[in-house]
Amino acid sequence: MSTPRDDRARLEREERWRQLMRAAQDGDNAAYAALLSEILPVLRRFVAYRWPSAPDVEDIVQEVLLSVHTVRHTYDPARPFMPWLMTIAMRRTIDAARRRTARNANETTVDIMPETFSGDDAKNEQEISDDQEAIRRALAQLPDGQRQAVELMKVKGLSLLEASAVTGKSVASLKVSVHRGLKTMREVLKRETQ
Amino acid sequence: MNSEELIRRLAASAKPVRRLPHPMWRAMMWFMLSLAYAAGLVSVIGLRGDFSVRIAEPRFLIELSAAILTSMMAAAAAFCSTCPGRPLWERLAPFPFLLVWLASLGEGCWRDWTLHGYQGLAIQQEFSCFWKIVATSAAPLVLILVMVRRGAPIAPYLTTGLATLAAASLVAAGMLLFHQQESSVMVLVWQFGSVLVLSGLAALFGRHVLYWRTVDKRSLENQTTPHC
Repeated sequence: MSTPRDDRARLEREERWRQLMRAAQDGDNAAYAALLSEILPVLRRFVAYRWPSAPDVEDIVQEVLLSVHTVRHTYDPARPFMPWLMTIAMRRTIDAARRRTARNANETTVDIMPETFSGDDAKNEQEISDDQEAIRRALAQLPDGQRQAVELMKVKGLSLLEASAVTGKSVASLKVSVHRGLKTMREVLKRETQ
Repeated sequence: MNSEELIRRLAASAKPVRRLPHPMWRAMMWFMLSLAYAAGLVSVIGLRGDFSVRIAEPRFLIELSAAILTSMMAAAAAFCSTCPGRPLWERLAPFPFLLVWLASLGEGCWRDWTLHGYQGLAIQQEFSCFWKIVATSAAPLVLILVMVRRGAPIAPYLTTGLATLAAASLVAAGMLLFHQQESSVMVLVWQFGSVLVLSGLAALFGRHVLYWRTVDKRSLENQTTPHC
């Protein structure tokens, strides 16, 4: 049960926030920073109370802060500040809960993540050797200029400037050669896998 | 980024904002513009043949007034619903007038039934009525949606439904002036029904029409955060 002193403190806080918001709307950045800092613990409590099992309270609080920021022009200083703030906080908390429910409906939780095969560590030696052989074959099919550009920049790891110094070609020309070379290799590898 | 850092960036990038005018003022602005559009529409198409007879009937006047007031109140309710912290009862403002409109049509149906029996309640297919309401309400609907998008999307489905109700009922009121319907049941089904169906359908797309604008974190870093 609230005492008269609590009520007075609440009214004073309400009036202060109203003034701060009015000043913030007029472009007073210090007032705006003070207001957002003062409402931050209130928002944390609100979100934690409304959604006790929320896994990401701080994310939702930040979403509320961003929403307050984008719609701060909708606040009418003639009206109380707290209902305005709490409506936004409630709306964004419900949105976050809804999003999470939708995401959970489409996700399956697993204890052990399935192995991926994109990295060489996850492959056996035979597979690595097969891959390398296929790349070597695709590289061999490229015209000389493109093969040299791909070898220097993608196999040996030279920069464009370094490759330009080695080949005597311009940077632009090397870029085009690498792009075309990789495209051709991709098509060759695709054909082989089919 | 932690919340304290976010606050620092938001405060640093905040620019003065133009406060949204009072919802009633915005509703009035929309209503006057849309009324001018509806009046233009009626003047282009021309008044219905029996207008001089119908305008003398109290029931017709009630029907017309109820449709116009529904439109006006729905617009006000739509604008109120985009202002956080406003009382919830404001969103119900158009419904008494909608009920009066329905009651006047119901009374008309009753009278037709007592005069002509089942013949008076015969419904003919007139889908053109629905499409006419869709086509003619497009302009006021686009206008009100553009205007409500300046507010906060705290009730997107309701706001979109109310905005459509405002536009469609204004056009339906206009149609009462230029489109001659044989019986009240036809007006009930093809005009009042179209207004309700359109509002309901539009409400379903509320979340696509009204949504929270995202703040670009990069713009925060560059201190140029946009606002609505």
